[in-house]
Amino acid sequence: MFGRIVAFAVVAGLGVTLGSAPARADDNVGPPELIAAARAEGRLVYYTSNFAEVEQQVIKQFNKRFPEIRIEMVRAPGGQLITRVKTEAAAGKLIADVVDHSDRALMAELVDLFQDYTPPNAADYNPDAQVSPKLWPRATLVWSIAYNTELVKDPPKTWMDLTKPQYDKLTGQVFAQSGGTTWTRIMFERQVLGEDYWAKQAATHPILYPSGAPMSDALVRGEIAIGPLLYNAIYPKQKDGAPIKIFFPPEGAPVNPYATGIPKTSTHPNAAKLFLNWCLSTEGQTFMIKELGNLTSLKVAPVYPEGFDPKVVKVWYPNFDQYVKLHASWVADWDKTFGYRQ
Amino acid sequence: MHGAGEWSRRQVLVYSWVALLLAILGFLVIYPVLTLLLGALTDTNPVVEGVSLSRLSIANFLTVLKNPNVAEALFNTLVVCAGGTLIAVVIGLSFSWIVVRTNTPFKGIIAAASILPLFAPPLVAGVAWSILGSPKTGLINTFFKSAGLDWRVDFYSLSGLVFVFGIYYAPYVYMFTASALRNMDPSLEEAAEISGASAFSTLFTVTFPLIMPAIVSGMLLSFIVMLGIYGVPAVLGAPSNISVLTTYIFKLTNWSPPLYNTAAAVAIILMVVTGCLVVLQQKVLGRRSYTTVAGKAFRPRNLDLGPWRWLTLALGLVYLLVVVVLPTLALIVAAFRKFMFIRDIASLFDMRQYSLMHFDSIFDNPLTLNSIYNAVEVGIITAVVGGTLAFAIGYTIHRTEVAGRGAIDLIATLPVAIPGLVIGVAYLWAWIGIPGGLYGTIWILALAFIARFMPDTVKALSTSFLQIHRELEEAAWVCGRGMLSTLGTIVLPLARPGVIASMTLLFVLAIRELGSSLFLYTSNTMVMSVLLLDYYEGGNIGKTAAFSLVQTVLLGVLIGGANWLSRGTAQGGVVQGIR
Repeated sequence: MFGRIVAFAVVAGLGVTLGSAPARADDNVGPPELIAAARAEGRLVYYTSNFAEVEQQVIKQFNKRFPEIRIEMVRAPGGQLITRVKTEAAAGKLIADVVDHSDRALMAELVDLFQDYTPPNAADYNPDAQVSPKLWPRATLVWSIAYNTELVKDPPKTWMDLTKPQYDKLTGQVFAQSGGTTWTRIMFERQVLGEDYWAKQAATHPILYPSGAPMSDALVRGEIAIGPLLYNAIYPKQKDGAPIKIFFPPEGAPVNPYATGIPKTSTHPNAAKLFLNWCLSTEGQTFMIKELGNLTSLKVAPVYPEGFDPKVVKVWYPNFDQYVKLHASWVADWDKTFGYRQ
Repeated sequence: MHGAGEWSRRQVLVYSWVALLLAILGFLVIYPVLTLLLGALTDTNPVVEGVSLSRLSIANFLTVLKNPNVAEALFNTLVVCAGGTLIAVVIGLSFSWIVVRTNTPFKGIIAAASILPLFAPPLVAGVAWSILGSPKTGLINTFFKSAGLDWRVDFYSLSGLVFVFGIYYAPYVYMFTASALRNMDPSLEEAAEISGASAFSTLFTVTFPLIMPAIVSGMLLSFIVMLGIYGVPAVLGAPSNISVLTTYIFKLTNWSPPLYNTAAAVAIILMVVTGCLVVLQQKVLGRRSYTTVAGKAFRPRNLDLGPWRWLTLALGLVYLLVVVVLPTLALIVAAFRKFMFIRDIASLFDMRQYSLMHFDSIFDNPLTLNSIYNAVEVGIITAVVGGTLAFAIGYTIHRTEVAGRGAIDLIATLPVAIPGLVIGVAYLWAWIGIPGGLYGTIWILALAFIARFMPDTVKALSTSFLQIHRELEEAAWVCGRGMLSTLGTIVLPLARPGVIASMTLLFVLAIRELGSSLFLYTSNTMVMSVLLLDYYEGGNIGKTAAFSLVQTVLLGVLIGGANWLSRGTAQGGVVQGIR
């Protein structure tokens, strides 16, 4: 056990040094004129559907490098954020300088609101992660399976293990209708793990949660013992010392890239560009991977989250056409299978 | 001739007064409700696609009415609210009687306990009771287990919801009935007792019937408030998949893509239920006169309970324990404990598990102080402006005979029926386009709260108005005082406890309000309740609990301070009024 901890620490330490050294070297966040203009603007308004606490850390890190730029954040769950953006835009009062959203399909409908924007390291990004050249995968979230080590002595090792009868009434799930990230996971389950995977999993009577955050809290408290969770929802708790173990199952890791852009009406466009350039830079992505438990849509990842071995785990991106077309009918199927009342 | 001119000048004044009130109400209530109705009847966002009457259809209503899950949510809602109201009336009425009318020792503590649950935002109450009452990890069950008892509680159930609703909304009944009892002339009770009635039968044949308007108002208000509560059923109902209308509406707005138009249609159902209740209340109250404050002096009297006063004290202490001490302890444990995994009692008292990390992290966040500042500012604006408006409306409805007061009453009651989340969208739709830049300021939040809580405030004030006998005002008129002077010297001083109580209520409600804030806050007008939801949705029960404690302490200090101040001025005010 001790040996494993040491090995783990060495690997993690290596990751830190490998990750941070080159990050500083090639972190091109834009020409000096852009930085000067951004500093002159001095602030920006940032709309995001990610968790406020998580984004507060991103802003803090950005401010370590650019303390003169104040970022004012508005955080709302996905559906509410879209309504706010649409309504504000229609009334000519969209005050956001950056809009950051987890559901690429909802953002794709609003693409006309956004201006052209390309980060300096655009060529380094995986084109599959984008739905429009104006919208960029600022954050890329990945699914994992987590369990409470105080409660589970014989942990699962794969996605298929979650369907074992021995875990009856011990698991939790985020329901399908909750948003883009969960939709990605249930699509993966049906397309990769088999048509009957949902039914098998539903047979273990999982408790259904509206989002990953309350579910990860329930896992720490022991309300549930096991469940699929977004890595970034549970990783900070493990980092703080909660009795949690997380792993990436070998059948694949469903990945959900965000869509982030700068509205045409932005009144602080230079600050917005600088902030996005930084987030999308190797430095920004490395920070989000290591501190927040994200993945990245960069073709070559600067570093991987703890326990993620790209040789073993294959990331799985949904086909975007199917992501849009299958949504309504598959979610309805899922609701029926899990007895989730609409 | 002179009299006729005077009369018509007065008529003009009265008409403009009514027109002014109606205009304010139109802006605050009618216009947003119409936008909402339009939303329910179309499949469009009225701001984005514009108002087009060609696409009107009742499709949303039909979908909603045909959906068996809506029927189930409606059924659950009615069961939970009816059960909760029953408990609230029993608790609220008992304690107001104990505090105002008996010689129970340490009444101050019971009085405080009866109001304290109001400070707890529903979300916090839900979180506290899930820590205590979860069937799997609840502290109560952990205690039973370690004591070797075979009892188990499950608050993730309809009965759990009924219990939590009942104990948390008892203060509504308490506030109404306590002030009614305080203003009631005890000679009526004495008369009953002299005629040979027992203390018990006096209670049920004289005292309670006399304060019936207060009981019915409190009961109705607590029922209606429960109808609109999201936090408690969201936390306690979700794990066992129990839906009520509010959680159902929240689901609709939170799904991706969001279904606001369907949500609006469900909200209209909620409005119809509430509308029926309001009509019922007016039918019940309209028939009789409840004037108990007349121009005669009376001394309050306390019933000597003898040894029974220890029982009433014990009841008060049990309530204090259940509604204040236990949930607060649960929150304190959650706020100071690093993680909420508690294997057994020994682990609960393992001090190594405790630290200040959650407090450090919330105060490390610059939004925390901003949100506190904003919330207090909105709370004060809402209390002062809303309280004044409610006084004007309450006086017009209850003390005048002007035409149009029925309409004013009805419109002022409407907002109670609309859940906060949905009315938030309605305000956003209705007010974002107003020139002058209301959107993005603290005022749009304050206006939304004033409108949303107008029914609560007007109802709270009505009881005071109903009890002040008209002969007192008439006396002032006879002595040659004008309308405004009568208001200032007679009505305001007499209704002062009610006015202060409603302003305090409004302040508390504004600080707690979450649903309508969600759509109206912008980056620099974030308020505490929104940040609290962020912490909760961020899955951090420790930070949620820590921030709840901060909010509770803040409310306690502010309200304690306000109370202390008003006590000082109230006496001076009355004395000056008499001179």
